[in-house]
Order: sequence, then structure tokens, then C-alpha cells
Amino acid sequence: MEAQVIIKDITKTYILSKKQQKIERVKDKRKVAVNGLSFTAYKGEIYGLLGPNGAGKTTALRCISTLIKPDSGDIIVNGHSVITDPEGVRQSIGFLTSDLQLEAFFTPNYLFDYFARLRGVTEDIIKERKKQLFEKFGIDRFAEVKVGELSTGMRQKVQIAISLLHDPAVIVFDEPTNGLDVLTAKVVTDYLTELKNEGKTIIISTHIFSVVEKICDRVGIIINGKLLLTETIDEAGGTEANLENQFFELVASESEEA
Amino acid sequence: MKNVLTIFKKEWDRVIKDKRLLFSVMILPGLMIFIIYSFMGTAMTSLSAPDPGNIAIVNPTEGFTSIYALPDNENIDNIITIAASEIPTYMTLVDQGEWDLIIVFPANIESNLVDGYQATADIYYNGNESQSQTIYQVYRGYLDIYGKALSYQLYEDTTVLLYNVGTQPIDEKKLMGTIMATLLPMLVVMFLFSGAMAIGPESIAGEKERGTMATLLVTPVKRSQIAMGKVASLGVLSLLSAISSFIGIITSFPKLFGEDIDFLSIYGIGEYAMILGLLFSTVFVIVGVISVVSAYAKNLKEAGTLITPIYLLTIIIGISSIFGEGANASWWFYLIPIYNTVQSLIAVLTFDPNITMYMMITVMANLVFTALLIVLLNRMFNSEKIMFSK
Repeated sequence: MEAQVIIKDITKTYILSKKQQKIERVKDKRKVAVNGLSFTAYKGEIYGLLGPNGAGKTTALRCISTLIKPDSGDIIVNGHSVITDPEGVRQSIGFLTSDLQLEAFFTPNYLFDYFARLRGVTEDIIKERKKQLFEKFGIDRFAEVKVGELSTGMRQKVQIAISLLHDPAVIVFDEPTNGLDVLTAKVVTDYLTELKNEGKTIIISTHIFSVVEKICDRVGIIINGKLLLTETIDEAGGTEANLENQFFELVASESEEA
Repeated sequence: MKNVLTIFKKEWDRVIKDKRLLFSVMILPGLMIFIIYSFMGTAMTSLSAPDPGNIAIVNPTEGFTSIYALPDNENIDNIITIAASEIPTYMTLVDQGEWDLIIVFPANIESNLVDGYQATADIYYNGNESQSQTIYQVYRGYLDIYGKALSYQLYEDTTVLLYNVGTQPIDEKKLMGTIMATLLPMLVVMFLFSGAMAIGPESIAGEKERGTMATLLVTPVKRSQIAMGKVASLGVLSLLSAISSFIGIITSFPKLFGEDIDFLSIYGIGEYAMILGLLFSTVFVIVGVISVVSAYAKNLKEAGTLITPIYLLTIIIGISSIFGEGANASWWFYLIPIYNTVQSLIAVLTFDPNITMYMMITVMANLVFTALLIVLLNRMFNSEKIMFSK
């Protein structure tokens, strides 16, 4: 198996403002969001990061996407290091998270072209990819409607299409089915499986067990910034219920330790 | 370069394709300035042209009438003759502010003119009414001339001191240039700044706040290209906005200074090209400053709060054009951004002989500042602390 994304012992600490300290009810100014995290995602697999809110999933994914830099450790994406070659990493990945938004004033059509050009995609490939992705997610019906006028679900679809427009080798999706109705969520998960079969490497974060159980090949459980377990879905028991039990046991033992 | 153009085009479309924004950035400033200045001009003209006065004269004389009725005086006042018995009535009217002036000449003043004769003319006006006071001043002047004329009839010319005044002929071009130089530099800097302020914070702080900047930051585009594309498009858009304001003020000039004064034709293509060059180099410094502050701000609101004091500071620098005689002669002052624009504009508008040197220093300094600001903006775009602070 070819390793596509290698996360090597990354740590990320935030300095909390006084206001944030109050909100989170902590005395310590420093908050360790990711603590010595390591895992590898291979070509042609879907790796699921499972964890409760605030576990460090999003921070880990933002480090992979180069939006933020880890304090220590490194991440190699498709042969590029996030520390020394962040542009190479950005060229290789498609990233989706709720932090990334599209400008409400423009239409999906305009934004698709805009981001495609910024990614250096040629005009004829833009046309082809747009047709393909807009059809896949049913965006062609509202391609000329301003993003601001779209529903959350429609907007999410446009965001997914734009994140994949350059046909990236690595796809990093933070909670990809959040805010989507069951039908659209299925379109997304089916498409991720399709991409996996094409040989893409996919990392998703989620707190929905059924998503992990249905589409992921391997799962990593992350709690308090630490990866407590990495195993294949079969090793985890193969069913949603088994996965859930295992997860709650880990949460319980982790909070006892804390 | 291609990416810079792509970003430029998107920022451009954001304003040009948004009818509301286009109206508020490109049309409204010029329109508002035209309306405000035209209104100010009309108000000033009506202030400087007094209403016709009401004057009642007892025993009017031919000699006095010939003075105030001279064609040069363009007398539009309502002058009537009244009988001595009517004086108390008109005095009451003057007290009530309904009449302006009463002049009472002794009877037959001109036929009684003999050596040693002294006549007293009684004047009554209302010192509390500005119109009555103005009319009094004017007619007091006519009475002085009339007194001299009477004296001349009696004793011939008794003047012992004559004046012969020597002065340079007035250089109208220079005079008009000086007027322009007190007014325009401040307005130009204000227009440039307010134009940039209308779109700059939205394009950087707004995008940061809404998360659309992050979408741009996950593309492989270099941060420096994002900075250049944004500053370039904001600069051009702000310049267009400033030109709109400029057209507004130019078209309101006839109302402000009178139809017959043509300020625009005193300058040639050379001067206009220099003004445009100055504006072009300045707008990027202004946009650079606004972009850096907007990138630093956590949200749009904070950007507005942080930019306001800088705006006030530029206005104060702009006001410096009102004080001082012409352009500053020390070359190193032209290294200070904004101040150098104001001073160079003064130099262009007053036909300063050193303008080429001032222009060169100003444009070079502005270019260096713009480059430094873009470098700073690039660093800020690279800083996760700044870009993702909540």
C-alpha cells in the first residue's frame, strides 16, 4: 500500500485569550489541541477521524490543509511537506470545512471558474470538470443563482464541487455530511466511495458512527488531541454498534485518566 | 501574474457587477458633492447679493440723486420722497425693521450754497438690522461724495494729497491657481481615502470574517499574489471613485465661483497628467494602509474603527494646504506619504518651477511605500494568528 498522507507526531497549541479562557472555563492560557498525533492514510482508502467536539479533529485537518502550521512534527501529503512546501500540498488536496465559505455575491458558475483558474486548470478542463461535478451534485439547476440565495444544503454541494474541481489526489473533508439532508448526504458518501475506487486518498472527520461504518476503510479515534486507536472497520467489530461501544469505552477511560 | 489578474478581476466584478455597490462607490460620491457644493454656491451668492433697500428721502436734491443713480452703481433700491410730516411714521417702520433708511436734507440745500454755509443732513437707520446697517453704509458713502461735490462747487478743488499707486498687473492664472491649491489637495486626498474606505475593509476584513478568505488561502496561489491582486484592484476602483468625486466638484465650480470664472482652462494637459500621476501613486499607498489595517482587524466593524483615526489624520494633513505659502520647498518632505501628495498638488496647481523634482520624489516614495505595504500584507496573510484570530 502506498502511503499518501503521513502525519508525523504533530502538536498544535493555542494561546487562549482571557475571553476564551472564561468560555472554556480553564485557568491555563495554553490549550493543546493536538498532542503528538501520528497516522498514515494510504492511496485508495477512506480514513475516518472519529472524535467528540473539541477533540482536535478539525485542528488536525487544518494542519493537513496548511491553513495552520503544526508547532512540531510534520505532515507529508503526496510527497510535499506542509512545513517546507505548503503550496505543493495545497495543489494536491481538496479541502472542505465549515470555516471555508464562498462569497455570497457570486454564482456557483462564476466561483467554479474563479477557483479553477487560481488552481491553474486549463479552460477546456474547467468546462469538462464543471459539467461533470455540477451534474453529479445537481448544481446545474442553480448554477446562475447567487450563493447567498442558496439553501445550506445547496451551498454545501457547491463547496464540495469547488473543493474537488482540480481532481486532487488527496481529499480532506471535515464533517462532509453536516447540514445535508439524507439524500444529499448519500450522494456525497457515494461519491467519496467512487473517488476512493479511482485511487484517491480520502480523510474525513466525523462524529457520526454510521458514516464511518459505511464508507471508511480504517478509523482513528481521537480524544483530547491524542489518537487513542487506529484500526480497520473489521477490527473495530464491523458494525455501527460495536464501533459505538468501543468509542464510549475509550471516552470513559480517557476521562478517568484525566 | 496570471493569478494576480484573476484576483484583480474578481475584486473588480464584485463592485462593478453589484448595482448597489456601484452606485454607492462610483456615482453617489460625485453626485453628493455636486449637490452639496452647488447648494453652498447658491447660498453664498445669495448672501453676497443684498436685497434691495428701502430709503425715504425728505427734500431730495438733484446732485445727490445723480450720485446714487450713476449707471455704475446698478442701483436697485426702492427710493421714495416723503414729506417732513411723514418722518415719525417711517421712523417707526425703521424701528420695526420694515424700512431701512431715512435721509432728511434741509430745504433748498443747493440754492442756499454760499461761503461759510454748513448744512446738516439727518440720517436714521436701525443698527440692529443687518440690512438697514448695510444700506446705511452704502448711502453714507454716497453722502460723503455728495458733500465733497458741494464743497467743490463752492471752493473748487481743495485736495492737498493725491495718490499714485504702482503695482504689478494681476496675474490671473497665478491667482486662480492659488485658490485651487488651497481647496483641491485636501479634497483630493479625502476623496481617495473615502473611496478606498468604502471597498477596502469589505474586501479584506469582510472576507476574513465571513471565511471566504480562508477558501482563497487553501488554493496554491502565493499569498503575495493575493496581496498584489487585491491592492491593485482596490487601487483602481478607489481611483475611479475619486474621479467621480472630482467630476462632482468640477461641475459644481460654476455655482461655487460664478459662471464667468473658468478654473479648468488655466491648466494644460501637462498639469492634468501630473495630477493623475500623483493620484495614481497615492491611491495605492492609501489602499495599502487600509488593506493592512483590514487584515489586522478581526472583523469588518473593528476595521472601520481602526481606519477612522487614520482617515482623520489624512484630513489634517490635507488641511495643511490651506496654511503656508505655496508648496513646501524642502525636498525631504516629499518622502512623507500623503503630505507629499498634498504638497506636490499645490506645486502643480500653482505652477511651481520645481514641480518635476517634487513629482519624482513623491512618486518614487509612494512606490516604495506601496511595495513595503504589500510585503507586510503578504506576511499577514501568511500568519495564521492574524488570519484566523477569532
